[in-house]
Amino acid sequence: MNTFAFLLNQSVNALSQAALLFFLGVGLTLIFGIMRIVNFAHGTIFMLGAFVGFSVVHWTGTFWAALVLAPLIVGLFGAAFEIGILRRLYGREAHAFLMVTFGLALVVGDVVRLIWGPDALQVPRPAALSGVVFVLDEPFPVYRLFLACAGIVMAGALWLALERTRLGLLIRATSQNAEMVHALGVDVKLIRSAVFGIGCGLAALGGVLAAPLVTASHGMAFAAVIDAFVIVIIGGMGSFLGSLIGALLVAFVQVFGNYYFPDLALAFMYLIMMLVLTVRPGGLLGKEA
Amino acid sequence: MPVASIAGLAVLALLVAAPFGLPVFAMTLLNELVILGLFAMSLDLMVGYTRLVSFGHAAAYGIGAYASGYILLHTELPLPFAVALAAAITGIIAIGVGWLCTMATGVSFSMLTLAFAQLCYAIAFKWTSVTGGSDGLAGIPRRAGPFGIEALTTKTGFYYFALACLVGAFLLCRALVASPFGAVLRGIRENEPKAVALGYNTRAYKIAVVAIAYALGGLAGALYAPFAGFANTELLFWLLSGQVLIMVIIGGSGTLVGPILGATFFMTLEHQLSSYTEAWALFFGLVFIAFVLFAPQGIWGLATEWLSRGKAPAKEVRHG
Repeated sequence: MNTFAFLLNQSVNALSQAALLFFLGVGLTLIFGIMRIVNFAHGTIFMLGAFVGFSVVHWTGTFWAALVLAPLIVGLFGAAFEIGILRRLYGREAHAFLMVTFGLALVVGDVVRLIWGPDALQVPRPAALSGVVFVLDEPFPVYRLFLACAGIVMAGALWLALERTRLGLLIRATSQNAEMVHALGVDVKLIRSAVFGIGCGLAALGGVLAAPLVTASHGMAFAAVIDAFVIVIIGGMGSFLGSLIGALLVAFVQVFGNYYFPDLALAFMYLIMMLVLTVRPGGLLGKEA
Repeated sequence: MPVASIAGLAVLALLVAAPFGLPVFAMTLLNELVILGLFAMSLDLMVGYTRLVSFGHAAAYGIGAYASGYILLHTELPLPFAVALAAAITGIIAIGVGWLCTMATGVSFSMLTLAFAQLCYAIAFKWTSVTGGSDGLAGIPRRAGPFGIEALTTKTGFYYFALACLVGAFLLCRALVASPFGAVLRGIRENEPKAVALGYNTRAYKIAVVAIAYALGGLAGALYAPFAGFANTELLFWLLSGQVLIMVIIGGSGTLVGPILGATFFMTLEHQLSSYTEAWALFFGLVFIAFVLFAPQGIWGLATEWLSRGKAPAKEVRHG
């Protein structure tokens, strides 16, 4: 294999990984930006997405339906949780949210185990995406290519939604000054519910997309939440662009680190995180120091 | 003598008498509880008294456990010295951790402590020659004490040793938070800029409290390794950091006793639920959520409120 083909191959691989991490991280950062809470249940929501996706594929027989329905279902669940529980806690100290979302992670994790059983579930790749393509004579799975494209498209769409729509405007305004937005007659409560729902829905989308790659399993929640934290911390809590950069950085470090320094790859990620935080305590694009 | 001191002495008497009345399996649980209580209390110095909310306290526990495990496996050092040395090592490492992490404040501080703990986790996973990799260190002996004190090798003797560590650490922490040093810590908790304006080098105080808290957390971990006979990467995993933070909060932060109660509650509930139902994590999670919604002051806060009911108007309980 020539070097260029190898690098290209690994880069697309990293891009597909970055797409999954981005869906995970951007939801967490949106939630933090609006509510100033660290959602410990984010990895579990990601896992819930994968399992709900499995069932939707099972019922409808098509992966594409899961891609739409699972995030919707999980997003509505997230919004309901915000309305039922989190809403009572605004104004309380940060660790109240830590405990509530930790509790949510335990509850959802167990409910998933009760409904879907303790074993990992295989979600088949849709037929159209199950083959390989040849990139410079090297085989490459179509599904990973699809993931990379989906990540780019969704990142663009989300950016447009945040910058060009009314809801996006309100979200950005609320993250800057919720009281002022409230004073202007906007129902901030509704925006918070919506953002928590959207954040959970995006994590679920990541879960559905990850499922054909790694199977839907209970272990994915733990790995996911810590990855999401790292991304958001590196990029800066609450920054959309930061979560994109964080996801790319972490994905490239994971993919190339695993290849060149398999023993150090895991440590690399956290070293970068510490380095970023000591130089810029608020993260690369974060406002808070 | 105030009610609290009498109650405290009564509990201590019960703990000392426990080996004479409790079955072996209950003693094992109680011993683990003593160790976890010490671990939770050490975090309270940071969370409750200085508002340094660490997401990575498992680092202290894990470093202490690996250090004492390594020392006990590879040297002839008697148990108490090995444990003390492991705690000291943790405290010394923590000076560096504190220096690094206190560059940031608030959520960033939490995240830096998490990053350090995860880094330790990654190192423990890969540095197989020292840490045993994913297998961890196994077969850690409970070696006898100095001058041929054999008692420490027995379960009961080790229990008393752990209990002595907990009581000693509690007295130390209580003296610490009552001292001028503790007053500065509370000043940092309430209003750091003000403490700076009063001329205190708050960064130095924060590094000091991180080092002390980690050393005591390391002491707990150093006890756990010979207690369980092993040390593995789970002792460094972020899940443990989350759990110990919840023990502190659920018990009542900033009270020292509260976190010990929190650890007791946490462990008892986990043990009881898991023996009754498969779905224990479900109820466990619901209890956390209910606690936040209905008892924000924590177990200790609830208890003191209940005790002072009908007397003077209930004192505002701080949960910082």
